[in-house]
Amino acid sequence: MFEREAPLGYALVLPAVLYLGVFIAYPFLMSVWMSFSDAQAGNQKWTWTGWANYSKVEAYDVLANSFHVAQFKEKKDAEAFLAARDKATVTAEPAEGGKFKGVLHVAGKDVPVLQLDNDGDASFAVQTILSDFDWSVAKSGTTWDVVAKTKDTPLTLGEFQDRKTMKDAIKNEVLVEADTTIQEKGTGVLQDPNFVRAVKNTFQYTFGTELLKLLIGVPCALLLNRKFAGRRILRGLVVIPWVIPIAISAQGWLWIFDSTYGVINWALVHSHLVSPGQVPNFRGDKDWAMFSLILVNVWRGFPFTAIIILAGLTAIPDEIIERARLDGANAFQRFFYIIAPMVRPILMVSLLFSVIFSFTDFNTIWIITRGGPYDQTQVLSTYAYQLGINAGYLGKGAAISLFMFPIMAVMVLAMLQFLRREV
Amino acid sequence: MAEVNLENVEKRFGETWAVAGIDLTVHDQEFVILVGPSGCGKTTTLRMIAGLEDVSAGDIRIGGRSVVNLPPRDRDIAMVFQSYALYPHMDVYRNMAFSLQLRRVPKKEIDRRVNEVAEILGLTPQLKRKPRQLSGGQRQRVAVGAALCRQSGVLLFDEPLSNLDAKLRVHMRTELKRLHQKVRSTMVYVTHDQVEAMTMGDRIVIMNGGKIMQVATPLEAYDKPKNRFVAGFIGTPPMNFFSGEWVDSKVQLGGGVKLPYPRSSPNGTKSVVFGIRPEHIYVRPSGNKGETAVPSVIEVVEPLGHDVVATASCGAGVFQLAAEIHDGLKPQDKLDLQFDMARAYLFDRDTECVL
Repeated sequence: MFEREAPLGYALVLPAVLYLGVFIAYPFLMSVWMSFSDAQAGNQKWTWTGWANYSKVEAYDVLANSFHVAQFKEKKDAEAFLAARDKATVTAEPAEGGKFKGVLHVAGKDVPVLQLDNDGDASFAVQTILSDFDWSVAKSGTTWDVVAKTKDTPLTLGEFQDRKTMKDAIKNEVLVEADTTIQEKGTGVLQDPNFVRAVKNTFQYTFGTELLKLLIGVPCALLLNRKFAGRRILRGLVVIPWVIPIAISAQGWLWIFDSTYGVINWALVHSHLVSPGQVPNFRGDKDWAMFSLILVNVWRGFPFTAIIILAGLTAIPDEIIERARLDGANAFQRFFYIIAPMVRPILMVSLLFSVIFSFTDFNTIWIITRGGPYDQTQVLSTYAYQLGINAGYLGKGAAISLFMFPIMAVMVLAMLQFLRREV
Repeated sequence: MAEVNLENVEKRFGETWAVAGIDLTVHDQEFVILVGPSGCGKTTTLRMIAGLEDVSAGDIRIGGRSVVNLPPRDRDIAMVFQSYALYPHMDVYRNMAFSLQLRRVPKKEIDRRVNEVAEILGLTPQLKRKPRQLSGGQRQRVAVGAALCRQSGVLLFDEPLSNLDAKLRVHMRTELKRLHQKVRSTMVYVTHDQVEAMTMGDRIVIMNGGKIMQVATPLEAYDKPKNRFVAGFIGTPPMNFFSGEWVDSKVQLGGGVKLPYPRSSPNGTKSVVFGIRPEHIYVRPSGNKGETAVPSVIEVVEPLGHDVVATASCGAGVFQLAAEIHDGLKPQDKLDLQFDMARAYLFDRDTECVL
């Protein structure tokens, strides 16, 4: 029986097949099933809910961002109207069907803006447009319009159960030209603003880090490819961030980022560059927090990029570079015409790996910010964990993590396609 | 005019001398071959002419202009590398046009030159191919073509045939020689293969240990070697050497072998090295003057076809001789071999110069 090789082959791959089945295929299929059910931690029985975890709209919010309060043929008339804003008043007047019109009185003109169910709402909404919106004159087609635009919060015109009543309502309620947006409200993850932000953050995090890794990794590789004393030692030192377990190095970064005792802020304060009250809050401010996460990932990931590119550079024969010199190529031309194209295939491989690592990165974000402050730095992986495990909504967590699957598939296929064409 | 002058050129790598002060003039349109064993400094010399290595001392002039401080691209040279150094991501056309494009030669002119060179080298059907789609011989021709397109005064070759199989190498030898007659550039060609050197060069420069041993036409180098190194390096199979003493117009070798030496006496020198080429040892007397019989035993016979290389021994030691297959030599044959003393050499044992 030891004569034939096939049985031995099957025996050797069996552990791998079992591993793939038990630890990869089963959890994957399980999470697909979960994402279509109302699975919750503690629930014994899961029931099929279709796409509800992905998208379920329960209401539409109509938000108005700007109103064209008045239109004029001449620019100076519009400006006169704008100038009279200070003395403007608002009244609510009864309209047909028991409704009330909110009317704006400016410079002797009466402008009905909105028509709502009761007089208080009508006058309050129009008053908001008058006092809280930014007014300006803008040319719109052939007329000069006085436009009231929101500063930050749009005016909520109401909540509607379905699209038809919403459209009818907008037609009846808004009496001037207005720019409105419709916001879906519901229990699916697509209706969850935190999820939408997590998607945005994931892309920002991935492409921000990849770009920086290339910008740092390529010059670093070029440097390490030069012959100088101590090159071997430096090559070894460069990979240290990559080989330290992320749990340990991220802990170090936590200390560095501490807003009071961290080394950066301490140095800033003690060198009198920044006063103690104005130091950056690396983990507490949403922009700084995303910056800090990207910084840590780049610090950790650029050695990988550099070493892979270095391998590509080392593979270029000296004679090719010498020929380029004889051909008359200067350092820039050698880099862009010869070195870069020859390194490109291997660069794509490193980018492929690196994008996958960054897109699915959980550790860095979880240790440094935990998705905070207030979910501002959640990415898909951390938000899936937060919602699925910490909050117990297994179905939604599964739905979120499965969102990564098609996005990654498209990115990876595009890169593989590129590589196949190249090599 | 693209004459290449080397004046007392030296190259040191730390403590070691790669090139120890050489003088050489390569005339315009000449095909000169630098030949020698590995480590003799021939490639370093070529790379110094190209500007890929700095000179430690001395001067190099191309077309009368000192180039030691010029970058490679301004030296009016083109080079063909041993590994061909083709750009793998560019097709054949771009490989040949690249240096012209960098020099902002007009597009029409580039097109004309590349097509002309491709025509000469038979590469026209391959212009759109990438190097990896070509055979070894085609790649070699692309490398030559890229150098030719430059129309530089001097073409440098660094062992360009050593990566080809034996048959193709012989073919390319002829091709390169024909090419030189067509383009009339000055060519400097480095090889370790003395057959290549003998067959291709107008003149050959034999180097050893960073020094020039002899500069000569192929025939001169064969007939009138200046020293023992050149005598041993040129010719296959190599010349046989025996240590001996010169006494009274005779050369005394070991084992009581005594040979009359007809040429002028070596000015009182006693210790000599006697050299004779395998092809100047005959199996039977030819009737020429100055042949001396040496009793020998045949040990090994290597037939090459018409020619046979045999290893024999006499009292003075082991040596090789070239015979014909019809001579019917067999191992253990005992016979008197005829040494053609008129074509033998004597070298000073200390200076190794010919006497």
